[in-house]
Amino acid sequence: MTAYLQAENLDHHFGGLRALRECTFTIDQGRITCLVGPNGAGKTTIFNAITGFLKPDEGSVTFKGRKLDGLRPQAIVHAGIARTFQNLRLFTDLSALDNVMVGIGNQFGEEPVGAILRPLHTLHRQRRLRQEALATLDHVGLADRAHDTVRNLSYGEQKLLTVARVLATGAELLLLDEPASGLSAGALDAVMALLRRLQSEGKTLLVVEHNTRVVQQIADDVLFLHQGHLMAQGTPEAIISDPALAEIYFGGAL
Amino acid sequence: MDFLYSYIVLAEIYVLLGLSTNLLVGIAGIFSVSQAAVFGVGAYLVAHFLMAQDALPFIPSLAIAAACCVALNILVTLPSLRVSGDYFVVTSFGIQLLATAVFTNWTGGTGGANGLPGIPPPDIFGLQVESTQQYMMLCTIASALGCLCFYLVMRAPFGRLLRAIREDELAVAAAGKNVLRAKVSAAALAGAFAGIAGGLYATFLSFIDPSSFDLDASILLLTMVVVGGARTLAGCIIGPFLLLALPQILTLIEIPTTIAASARQLIYGVLLIVFMLFRPQGLAGERL
Amino acid sequence: MLALQLLATGLVTGCALGVVAISFALVYSTTKIFHVAHAGIYTLAGYLAWSLVVHNAPLIVAMAVSIVACTALGALIQSQLYARLERRRATHLVVLIASLGALAVIQNIIAGVYTPNILQFPLPWSGEVLPLGSVRLTYVQLLTIAVSFAAYAGTMWFAHHTILGKRIRAVASNPMLADITRLQPQSVYIYVIAIASALVCLPGILVPMDLGLQPYNGVTPLLTATIAMIAGGVGSITGAFVLSIAIAVLQNLSLLVMPGEWSIGVTFFIFVIFMLFRPTGLFAAAR
Repeated sequence: MTAYLQAENLDHHFGGLRALRECTFTIDQGRITCLVGPNGAGKTTIFNAITGFLKPDEGSVTFKGRKLDGLRPQAIVHAGIARTFQNLRLFTDLSALDNVMVGIGNQFGEEPVGAILRPLHTLHRQRRLRQEALATLDHVGLADRAHDTVRNLSYGEQKLLTVARVLATGAELLLLDEPASGLSAGALDAVMALLRRLQSEGKTLLVVEHNTRVVQQIADDVLFLHQGHLMAQGTPEAIISDPALAEIYFGGAL
Repeated sequence: MDFLYSYIVLAEIYVLLGLSTNLLVGIAGIFSVSQAAVFGVGAYLVAHFLMAQDALPFIPSLAIAAACCVALNILVTLPSLRVSGDYFVVTSFGIQLLATAVFTNWTGGTGGANGLPGIPPPDIFGLQVESTQQYMMLCTIASALGCLCFYLVMRAPFGRLLRAIREDELAVAAAGKNVLRAKVSAAALAGAFAGIAGGLYATFLSFIDPSSFDLDASILLLTMVVVGGARTLAGCIIGPFLLLALPQILTLIEIPTTIAASARQLIYGVLLIVFMLFRPQGLAGERL
Repeated sequence: MLALQLLATGLVTGCALGVVAISFALVYSTTKIFHVAHAGIYTLAGYLAWSLVVHNAPLIVAMAVSIVACTALGALIQSQLYARLERRRATHLVVLIASLGALAVIQNIIAGVYTPNILQFPLPWSGEVLPLGSVRLTYVQLLTIAVSFAAYAGTMWFAHHTILGKRIRAVASNPMLADITRLQPQSVYIYVIAIASALVCLPGILVPMDLGLQPYNGVTPLLTATIAMIAGGVGSITGAFVLSIAIAVLQNLSLLVMPGEWSIGVTFFIFVIFMLFRPTGLFAAAR
């Protein structure tokens, strides 16, 4: 049976630094997989490789039997994979609602000719999409902040918004880059509840996470990455209790 | 009074150019010094169609000229935007200098440095537009339509997409949108506005020459957007009206004609620097 | 024969262009700013030197004063304009527009003071020709070749054998890392622009000695130089210099088949080809 997402022998150099080293792993559908490892292990590089922001020197990524090699980021989103960024990259001058609406695919009026020649149709469709976007915001718990500019949202709310934006794309595999870092206890619980809710709705999640409590609470599988190579794969308990891995994580590596 | 009408006509033509430049520079964030070149292409094309052996009527001439300018802008932005932002700077300068070379040297097509005289007034469905007042009505309608299009486009998802692209292209791509297509569409629309402005300009003045469409003219267009303000309709209107009043103000100070042109350009340069340093949102716009 | 003569004069133009390209590349690869005002400094250099020569100053003195003044102007633009904008986190577009504004200011002050007419350097020996076989070059043209190659060699030596040069290369290759490791990019930027402004004075003075002065004549050489820089590979000093000569020679040779007014078309055509097929340039700096 073909794996849901398969990364094979990913290898990449940045100048003199080898960021990915024969990296191979699979992700199963419907599960929450956490990607852990010390800083510089290559976690974001893997995200970039999967989502078309980086063309790895070697290796390939296959999603539902289809090779993603060479596809541009927007094509990969259409194929069903969307990602968030560690540094959020929200559109700060736009409202929360607008941020979500940018993510919704197949909108009428996204090019000038339609917008000019059929203004009423555009308006009508926008009204409906706005409802859709509000529902998405409600889903992540931001419905009452819909019209606030991103600048005025708290860090926790901004993080939830990044998840809302990827949800808007309709992607089935979500790559979340540290969705829980820097959050207060309350916000942390809200995020974890959201991730579990998404899983129950059929989404597959690959989550980069440093917080061991989060990993323990939400992960079905854990991938341990070190120096660009997959060192270990297993249940959260197995990985977290492994002394050798703890040494790498907390001890030596920067 | 006629003098005032002339000023308004020119200002309204430049409002169309302001919309065009604002779309490209203010909204899509593409640095362009070749807007005047496209303006010139529009002007020369309309003049050509109106003065040809089998002359075309005004509206079709305008339409064809606009279409050509759209194609020109697409052709110019598509390859360079794919590579990197600064490549477009080089392309833009190149296009502008190349256009000036063509306007000045292709005497057969453009009359060369001496320009093209005798451009006939527009004939719209049997109505001759000849007096300055009639021109004012024509240009008011044209610029109002232009503003309406700008407004519709900015309110539509396209406008939101362009705003997002200006903030963070990578995030837009990550949201599944084609950034290049959006930028090229903005450039295409900008081309249409510039082409139509060119046609109106050519018929209003009935004489055009390369000096109206050179690098200095492109700098004036940039200054209009910078002073008026980026990304807002108000900015597109204030910029041209203010900057076209400048030459009149200068004559009050009695600057000798020999340095009048360079004095104007000097002021544009100073305005660009001052606004970028102290007021990047212009008088009525949003931060560039 | 004509082709050989065109080749020779192409070499002259190309050498001068090469120094413009190297100096621009220095600024661009380090500060990432597309410093269009550089064309203004190029133009100003010639006019300042001319003013002194016209008042009977020796050429060497005129050149020295011009270099000092232009270096100061370059440093001023960097510290008062670019650095301030950087502190305000201005976008790339804003800096570009500001640079364009500076260019307009410089060019038009020159046009106002010196008139837009062409001015010639009153140097009796500048037009004298030295026949080299079937090729005839003036002393100015030969001087241009010599000085340009010296400038190229000097820049290469500087970049690879001096501490400041290495610091500049380090900042150029990774400004973020440079910021963290306390290489202080901003102070390096001032040095870079100062050196680049000084360098560009050389062709800025030599070319008008051959062809005359005009206030708006700086943009086209700058454009050609940036195309040479891109085609040669941003970050490669040799690439910029070599491609400048190549482009100038090709431009000149094109005169055999088309009128001179279209030569900019040739340059632009070369640029389009590179952009479509090899955007990273020929000698892309291997990191």
